[in-house]
Order: sequence, then C-alpha cells, then structure tokens
Amino acid sequence: MAGGGDLGGGGGRPKRGKHSKRKAKKRVGFRIDMTPLVDITFLLLTFFMFVTTLTTPQVMDMAVPPETEDVEVAESKLFTVRVREDGKIFYNQAKDIPQPILMKELRAKAIKSNLDLKNELITVLKIDENVPYETVVNILDELNLAEIKITQSLQAEKLNRERKFTISQMTDKDKEEIKGL
Amino acid sequence: MPKVKMKRTGFVIDMTPLVDITFLLLTFFMFTAKFKSEADSEQKFQIKRPKTQADTAKLPEKDVAVIRIAIDSTKATDTAYYFSVANPELWNTIKEDASLSEWFTPDRKEASKGMIKTVKIEELEALISVSRTQAKAFNITKKTSAEKAQLRFAIDSDKRIRFKWVSDVMEALRRTRQTQFNFVTDKQQ
Repeated sequence: MAGGGDLGGGGGRPKRGKHSKRKAKKRVGFRIDMTPLVDITFLLLTFFMFVTTLTTPQVMDMAVPPETEDVEVAESKLFTVRVREDGKIFYNQAKDIPQPILMKELRAKAIKSNLDLKNELITVLKIDENVPYETVVNILDELNLAEIKITQSLQAEKLNRERKFTISQMTDKDKEEIKGL
Repeated sequence: MPKVKMKRTGFVIDMTPLVDITFLLLTFFMFTAKFKSEADSEQKFQIKRPKTQADTAKLPEKDVAVIRIAIDSTKATDTAYYFSVANPELWNTIKEDASLSEWFTPDRKEASKGMIKTVKIEELEALISVSRTQAKAFNITKKTSAEKAQLRFAIDSDKRIRFKWVSDVMEALRRTRQTQFNFVTDKQQ
C-alpha cells in the first residue's frame, strides 16, 4: 500500500525540497485497492434503484356539464348507457327498449352507433350509485377506445370529430326502466 | 505435456470500467429519484387504481389538486376523502383561508400537514372552492408564467369504492364550476 509518509517526524508535513529525506519518485504501476469504493457504490446504487418508482400514474380526462339550465336535445340522437346495481350494462338509442350488453361488446356498439349518425350522437352515461368505481372506469375506457376508432373513421371522410358525451345522475325513472330486464 | 497449475498470488483485476459504469448508474438513479412528499408520507393507505388502456397522459407532478378516495382500514366501509395540493406555497395559503376556520380547527390543522381528511362532502366542496379562489389570487402575485399555478383537479379513487363517493365529488366540482378534471388510473400491462 501507499507508504505512510514520515510518521516519526512528530507533526508537520515532510517538506519536499533540498533538505527532505523523501525523494519524488515516479510511481510506475501504482494501484489503489478499489474494493471498498465499489462496495459503497453498489450499496448506494441498489438503494436508489429500490426507492425510485418507475411507474407514474396516468390520467383520464373527464368533464361535467356546467350548471346551467337544461339543454333541449332531440331524443332520437341520444345513446344512453345505463349500469344497474348488479353491474349489468344496458344501452338504448332514442326511445328503444333498453338492451343488455356485455362490456366487451360495448366498444363495437359505440363505434357503430356513432358512425351511423356521424357527429350527431350524444352519449349519456348513467351509473347506479352502488356500482364499484372500477366498472365505471372500465366503461369509460371502452368508450375512449371507441373514440380513437371513430375519430379515425371520420377523418377518412374529412370530418372533424366533435365528441358529445356526458355523465349524468341516474334517476328513479331510469332505475325503473331497467329493473326487470 | 501436462500443464503445471500455478497458484496466482496477488492476482488483480482492473476494476476501473466497473467503477465507471456503477458511478454512471448511481448518478442516474440519484437524479431520477423522487422523494416522498409530505402528503405521501402522511398517507397510511394504498390506493388500488383501476386499469385502463386508452389513457396516455401522465399525472402532472406540480400544481395538481388531488382528491383521494381510499379504503383506509381493513373494514371496507370505512372511507374518507383526502384533499391535497402539490404546490406547497399555495397549499399553505389554502389551509390558512379564513372561510375554512369554522370546521378546520387548529387540532385538525395539526393532524393534516400534507393532506386534509374529511368525510363530509360539504367540507370537500369548500376546499375545492377555496383552492380555486386562492389559485387565482396566487397567480396575480406572480409575474412569470413558470411561477403561476395552473391548478388541475384529479380524482384518485380506489377501484373498490362505490360510485356514489366519486359521483358526489363530481357534483361538488360541478357546483364550484370546475367542470374539467381528471381520473387517476394505472396502465394496463
């Protein structure tokens, strides 16, 4: 290892110069034992690797209509998706009788209904208060995925997509309509 | 001729490239490491977020007001709202707002450094409303756009929560005229 300097000198660094006993030597093949350095570095490395979280959460855009007076819309353009207490999904367009639909069929249905009416269709989502939040997000995700396809198809026809979507309160009337189905 | 096995004494490997790479990785992880904020360290629950495919936008790190709805005990019925704002300067002004003093008592203030826990939707609505007005006042005092807070609202809810909890928050946001907000989700693998 490195030679410990003039230890017997009793304080003060050994002077380099004429009177110094040490001679400046060029140390060829000089090596430092790097093992402790590597140990500590690896320790720190593993520490930082474990504390960093690489997955950052994502966000889904949502909007609620502002609190103004109700807007009159043509009922024939309404596409209503209702979710019952037990998680069953029902859809209906205009005044049709609500039809049960599976989660995986929802995307295709939303695409078809939207493309039939171009930008005219208004999607309304009504969800029972007792449905778990996960179901709600899954439905929103399906509708968002449908939206990508709709936008692409409309762009092919040189149309700009204007999404008309709202989430609204489920009334007792809504509950009554899908009760026995 | 059989090889003579030699015992290599004082065998040395040049560790310099290893050290180089290790330091490189170390500095990388040191710079990317994000440490827990006050709100995170106060958080005693874990939120199981719903998984989605369509979302690509990341949750902003600054100037976001997060409304957490979590199951914070083993009993699934025990739910509460947790409100926090990521901008520390703005967060302090919100907590000191006089209009909250009626229910936001000093001992509650003591317990909520990073986020405010509440079960009452009226209290949450007051918080949202105060955040909006305080953010406006805060932005007037700042000159550069980098200092200004573009306050966004995000609902970070556990996926097992009944929709009523979320729907109540959405109504509260609507009443305070905050019609744009976000749902926090996780990426589906």
